[in-house]
Amino acid sequence: MLRLDRGRWKRLSAVPLVAAIVAVLVVPGPSQSTASPPAGLECLTAGDNAFELTATGGYAAMPDGNTIYMWSYAAGGGAFQLPGPTLCVTSGVKVTVVLHNSLPEPTSITFPGQVQVLADGQPAQPETDAAGTLTSLTTTAAANTGSVTYTFTAGPPGTYLYQSGTDAQKQVQMGLYGALVVRPAGHPERENDRADSAFDRDREYLYLLGEIDPDLHLAVERKRAYDFTRYKARYFTINGRSMPDTIAPNHADWLPAQPYGALIHIRPYDPVGNPKPALIRYLNAGSVSYPFHPHGSDEQLIARDGRPAQGPGGQDLSYSNFLIDVAPGQTVDTLMIWKDAEHWDPQGNPIPVPLPSLQDQIVGPGPETWFAENPYLGGEPGELPPGVVQNNQCGEYYHVAHSHALEQATNYGASFGGMMTLIRIDPPAGCPA
Amino acid sequence: MTDPVRQPSISRRALLAGVTGLGTWAVLPERGSDAQLRRPAAVLPRAVPNPTASLHLAATDGWVSMPQGAPPISPFWPDPLAPAGADLYVFGFRDVTGLSATEVTAQRGKAQISAPLLGFDQETDIRITLTNLGLSVRPDLTDGHTVHWHGFRNAIPLFDGVPELSISVPIGRDFTYFYRPHDAGTYMYHCHFEDVEHVQMGMTGIVYVRPAQNAGTADVPPGKYVYNDGDGTTRYDREFALMLTEVWAEAHYRDAHIQTTDWTDYKPSFFAFNGRCHPDTLAPNGDPMSAAAGRLRYQPISSLITANAGERVLLRLANLGYQNHTVTADGVDLLVVGKDAALLRGRDGSAEYQVTNTVQIGPGESRDVIFTAPDPGTYLLYDRDLMSLANAGGGRGGQLTEIRVSPPGTLPAQTRANA
Ligand SMILES: [Cu+2]
Ligand SMILES: [Cu+2]
Repeated sequence: MLRLDRGRWKRLSAVPLVAAIVAVLVVPGPSQSTASPPAGLECLTAGDNAFELTATGGYAAMPDGNTIYMWSYAAGGGAFQLPGPTLCVTSGVKVTVVLHNSLPEPTSITFPGQVQVLADGQPAQPETDAAGTLTSLTTTAAANTGSVTYTFTAGPPGTYLYQSGTDAQKQVQMGLYGALVVRPAGHPERENDRADSAFDRDREYLYLLGEIDPDLHLAVERKRAYDFTRYKARYFTINGRSMPDTIAPNHADWLPAQPYGALIHIRPYDPVGNPKPALIRYLNAGSVSYPFHPHGSDEQLIARDGRPAQGPGGQDLSYSNFLIDVAPGQTVDTLMIWKDAEHWDPQGNPIPVPLPSLQDQIVGPGPETWFAENPYLGGEPGELPPGVVQNNQCGEYYHVAHSHALEQATNYGASFGGMMTLIRIDPPAGCPA
Repeated sequence: MTDPVRQPSISRRALLAGVTGLGTWAVLPERGSDAQLRRPAAVLPRAVPNPTASLHLAATDGWVSMPQGAPPISPFWPDPLAPAGADLYVFGFRDVTGLSATEVTAQRGKAQISAPLLGFDQETDIRITLTNLGLSVRPDLTDGHTVHWHGFRNAIPLFDGVPELSISVPIGRDFTYFYRPHDAGTYMYHCHFEDVEHVQMGMTGIVYVRPAQNAGTADVPPGKYVYNDGDGTTRYDREFALMLTEVWAEAHYRDAHIQTTDWTDYKPSFFAFNGRCHPDTLAPNGDPMSAAAGRLRYQPISSLITANAGERVLLRLANLGYQNHTVTADGVDLLVVGKDAALLRGRDGSAEYQVTNTVQIGPGESRDVIFTAPDPGTYLLYDRDLMSLANAGGGRGGQLTEIRVSPPGTLPAQTRANA
């Protein structure tokens, strides 16, 4: 009972994955301002912490071939992208965000978690129409050509959403959302001010979770009315993409408007060689909770909504999870490591049950597999049935991470899609290109 | 994640066994850098080979029964294809351990929900053989099945059960999964093949891991504990596992009637504890291999909670529905000690046990909850989302069961979970 767009899977499996792998191997020291990592969080930074965002319309591609009209925030005078760029600032700095509006109706940005936000120098204010009805949660930029300048002092370190405050039910669903990352002053290697929030700066990931009701988007595109009582999300996204597009590299050329991937790429924990955890920042821009389940490792929940999990005396109140539940509008930050608990090795420590012969197993199902037909980390790939595309490069392990509200792990109801991505674990020695 | 003191596991384990001697239990100090994730844990030093456990599960389809008298959902429920005494088409697992090959094959079409309740000791070498018997009602389907041990800090994709990232078991074949659990707590297992369908169809169960601390340590006497807590705070007298699921009757009908389902239309009709809806939740455990078990033969796991006043009762709560649920017990304080098979303690050891009256559990989450049985009487345990207290949209039912408390000394010691 599988529906797949084979074209998409082929495009994905050919050049891009290999490119991603090669690129990730040569990744980066600590991320610089405009660096464009092939996987992981990509910051937009500005020397004076002043950002220009343009609310504009464009199209997002879904893996089943559907194309969805969206609204989102473009960086500067750049092209439409979903979601908006990830703004990275340091706690305590003065932040300026100029919003230009090219949409046919007023729009705005709210910064939940930030205090004393000014709009054009005045405290940002809710807006009402002549009848006194609330029209916007915050100060707007006028339709088509308006602009507004928001300023605030970046609050406590952590992960925050920014999103439309105007006709928010519709505009946020249309895609007007992005992430704001506030780093602790003097400690960019930490999620917050606590020493135990330190992470590997080359292993920082953002999961901006959302959903799409294509009927609403079609109504907006065709300037028709939409009845929100009929709202029904059909696509579930991470960083504006659905599986399998989530595992394609950042800036994959066949996803021109969806620049951010969600593949986690790590190596096994090693107290000397690889001691630091990865950091995953979860944000929920949708209308329901997304119960996110990473396989193969639990994660330590260290912060929520820009507040560290700690007691009044600074006690560590973080906790271990294999299910990270993110409610609408919330953010959750976790640290994650993957440990090779058993160190299976075909010579010295063989797996105590056999791998069945090919005719006694199902590979796939579907046109692709991420399993090397060799269960050993770093092992040589085994034989595959004809017609199955092998994505395994060097005996690396893959685990899936997905919403466990399983109807969300589909593309319009079709399996192995939606709010889902992969965790790739390379052998300790790395992966030769 | 596993305890750092166990790495590398084999040599470390052998070393510890040599140092402290066979049969000695010790709580070892934590080590590691600040950045390293740690959980308090006791370690069982012992000689190899590990204790072993073997289990044989069959995966197949079958028919079960939702509560009688619920309003029909025409044409989806009761399903007109159902045999007498049943009304809902399901997929499920079946415990066929020890049966002959012929007897195993005879279990085709006899799936049960929830799947068998599994409990193992920490550090046991576990072999679970899965046989795919195919689907008796849908012989046209060539679906594989798998076992995914949900939440297990599984080092290796081969045993993780995700078909696209490992393998799955074809019809007529079997495969043996291997697990060596290092972390105590409450997990789940389910099929991960076409998981949105197979999980909804009923291939879900609870598996839990007992801590090494149960044998006693220098600080804690032998007993029943949920975790390697080091101080005995997770001790209990009786344990009851509740698997929370939803049943979307329309999807089950469509599977039986060779129709496809748009899973984003998800709209459940029944809400179950251990595959049963109230009042069936109260019926005793049944023998799934015996026709004498009657209408609930293929739903053998009771949710009735019994205890003597003053005893500590452990609830192992797990949710493999697709919606949040909020469990409450009227008039009883609930102490939440664990989430997702992890003791609720910070990395510096700070306790964050929570006393509450409602325990919210999202899809795929587990919670370990302890309460002290109050004065003798009957108390209700149910989902505070009252929409989940209906069967097929009508009447009382759903995710509701009873806690029946007897005077001290009335009930003998519990011999197994949910008994
Ligand atoms: Cu299955
Ligand atoms: Cu699961």
